[in-house]
Amino acid sequence: MSLRFQRLLLILVSVIMIFVAVLLILYNGRKNISYFYTPSELASLKIDIDKKVRLGGFVEKNSFIKITASSFKFKISDDLKSIDVAYQGLLPDLFREGQGAVIEGYMTKNNVLNATSVFAKHDENYMPASIKKGLENTGYWNKNY
Amino acid sequence: MSSLVGFLCLVFAVGINIFLIFSKYLLKLKIVSFNILIRLSCILTLASFLSLIYAYLVSDFSNFNVFQNSHSDKPLIYKISGTWGNHEGSMLLWVSILSIYAFFFSFTKKIDLNLKKLTLLIQSFLHISFSLFIIFTSNPFLINSVIVHEGLGLNPILQDPGLAIHPPILYAGYVGYSIVFSLAVASLMHESNDLEWLSIAKKWSLISWTFLTGGIALGSYWAYYELGWGGWWFWDPVENISLMPWITGLALVHSLLLVKGQQILKKWIIFLSILCFSLSIFGTFLVRSGILTSVHSFAADASRGLFILLIFFIITGFSLVVFLLKFPDNNKPVKFLFINKVSALIINNILMIIATLTILLGTIYPIIIEVLTNNRISVGGPYFNSTVIPIMIPGFLLMSIAPVLSWQTNKIKNSYYYIICFILISVIILIQSYLTEFNSWGVIGLILGVWIIIASISAIILSYKLKLNFKFLQNINPHLAHIGVGIAIIGITCSSVFQKEYDYNLNTGDNFIVNEINVVLDKIETKNEKNFQALRANFLIQEENSFKNVKSGKNYYPVSKMITSEAGILHQWDRDIYFILGDQKDEKWFVKVYVNPFVSLIWLGIIIMICCGFIGVIRK
Repeated sequence: MSLRFQRLLLILVSVIMIFVAVLLILYNGRKNISYFYTPSELASLKIDIDKKVRLGGFVEKNSFIKITASSFKFKISDDLKSIDVAYQGLLPDLFREGQGAVIEGYMTKNNVLNATSVFAKHDENYMPASIKKGLENTGYWNKNY
Repeated sequence: MSSLVGFLCLVFAVGINIFLIFSKYLLKLKIVSFNILIRLSCILTLASFLSLIYAYLVSDFSNFNVFQNSHSDKPLIYKISGTWGNHEGSMLLWVSILSIYAFFFSFTKKIDLNLKKLTLLIQSFLHISFSLFIIFTSNPFLINSVIVHEGLGLNPILQDPGLAIHPPILYAGYVGYSIVFSLAVASLMHESNDLEWLSIAKKWSLISWTFLTGGIALGSYWAYYELGWGGWWFWDPVENISLMPWITGLALVHSLLLVKGQQILKKWIIFLSILCFSLSIFGTFLVRSGILTSVHSFAADASRGLFILLIFFIITGFSLVVFLLKFPDNNKPVKFLFINKVSALIINNILMIIATLTILLGTIYPIIIEVLTNNRISVGGPYFNSTVIPIMIPGFLLMSIAPVLSWQTNKIKNSYYYIICFILISVIILIQSYLTEFNSWGVIGLILGVWIIIASISAIILSYKLKLNFKFLQNINPHLAHIGVGIAIIGITCSSVFQKEYDYNLNTGDNFIVNEINVVLDKIETKNEKNFQALRANFLIQEENSFKNVKSGKNYYPVSKMITSEAGILHQWDRDIYFILGDQKDEKWFVKVYVNPFVSLIWLGIIIMICCGFIGVIRK
């Protein structure tokens, strides 16, 4: 193999690697992105049943029902609308009524969000930027929270 | 009182650094006085940091920062670690480590004096920028406006020995790249053609990389047993951010191997050095600004984010401009051969940069989309798994044989042996996994891991004479590091692909069977500890004729009214059995159990890599 041919080979390999990487990014990017909604947005939209969504808001007061030690029902609200959520599994330590939470899951036909994971606010001062933004828009956001 | 001392020390240190920068133009300082001033500024910064620690130790609640983040009944170690468990303190830690690096760098010999001065000046500039950031936007020495006798307490999730030392070690990694960065930029500005600085840069980049590895490993080990999610890596934005300089740093360490007179890579090395430190600052910006949602976001404050963004643009912009204006010319074109060490390292570098870009894209994509379309999205962990891992696979394959490739020629010694070996391993693993549990990712991971280990061991045996001294250890160090990677890959593959998950609803006294092991939920008890109440479930695990105890439960911290989960883990060399206690309903407790095979190999592999990192630093 001549030197020139080998250099060409090296460049070719690099280009192929970059090309494969771009393909992977595009393909996986489309598959693994989930949109974030507030309860009012989710209520007003028609969401495909097989599409993963994220819902952010507050766990509505007096809506939390423990069916068994590992399956729960509650409502996520932004004071305008609320969405029913069903979840099976471990709830995060900081999950409480009246506190912020982000739910990831799929909508079912009867407008219940079947949660695959639940995230809660991490400390007293901490609020996911995405929830804060959504709540500021709906006017619920209280600065001293 | 200690607040005042601390603040004054911080300001004086900035004063010294400003004086140093002006002195370059106004008066010609001798290198001796230059060194002394740099060391003095380091001592002052450390004094400032120590006085903050002191304020935490004596629970001086007249300091607003202490009041917000500490409590008098915290155990001693968490009083100390509370110093950097918050935004202000952690930034002071950042600057302290920056000045410690400058301190040690000032002892460097065998370096052009002007180059050394320039490097220290750039370091001074970094010191000033970050100190001003602290003084103006996040001062830890503010005085509390009201008189209080008790503090608000540290976030309980941070009260953990692993996490107490995680930030200093991680920062030692991040900030270590500042020296490499300063050296690279200084060498550009100095316009000399000597390559001495590269061997110095190699040492510092290896030190930083080793600390960064340790910091990331501690963080993920903490996530493993503290968050109670059964895994140790979640592609959380902060994890991604620490991974980017880590991979770039790895590329840097490897391309520094190529220094031996290859001019073309000098350009690349300078670029990587700038990139590493820029990514470190960029990470700090993303975490501290609260733009990213993560476990690590301290209270968000727009002005802070803007200030760091400004520093980021000044530093990165300045260095890139210098890079474009003054980059060294190619006077020695490299001989590219397809199958040799140089091209293997180039391909490995390209792969690492692509992987870094992929992670960067996934991490900031939500921000870009929100700015552009006002839609809020999140990119899930599966994106990273199915993008980054395939990109890295050719790199791992290459890694196993790269150390035995030759520098000059196109031949591999004993190539037939390696080919046969690789085919043999693949066949054995394929058959084995068909007979047990087939999973294509599992097969790929296992083949890679085993192949890397066996190829590295063979390389050691075939190329070196076995001797029992330190010189021999230094020679085989790269191979050892790669064996560490192989071990970690096996651990990562097994623990993620072959992880098993079980859910139970149990009364106390119930028997249950996890993966053919008999377990009893023995009893549930509560206990009062120093600053929390503990609820613990005791699991008895039957092992042949003896029983093993594992406690899992929750802690309740009355000061901050928070609950944290404490996972109970039975560590065995070939698997971890991981218990999490859930909720209770009608006397029945929800218990989640994970069986994670070969997790211990991950930590073993990482420890090997860290040891090799340190051996590499000692190596001349």
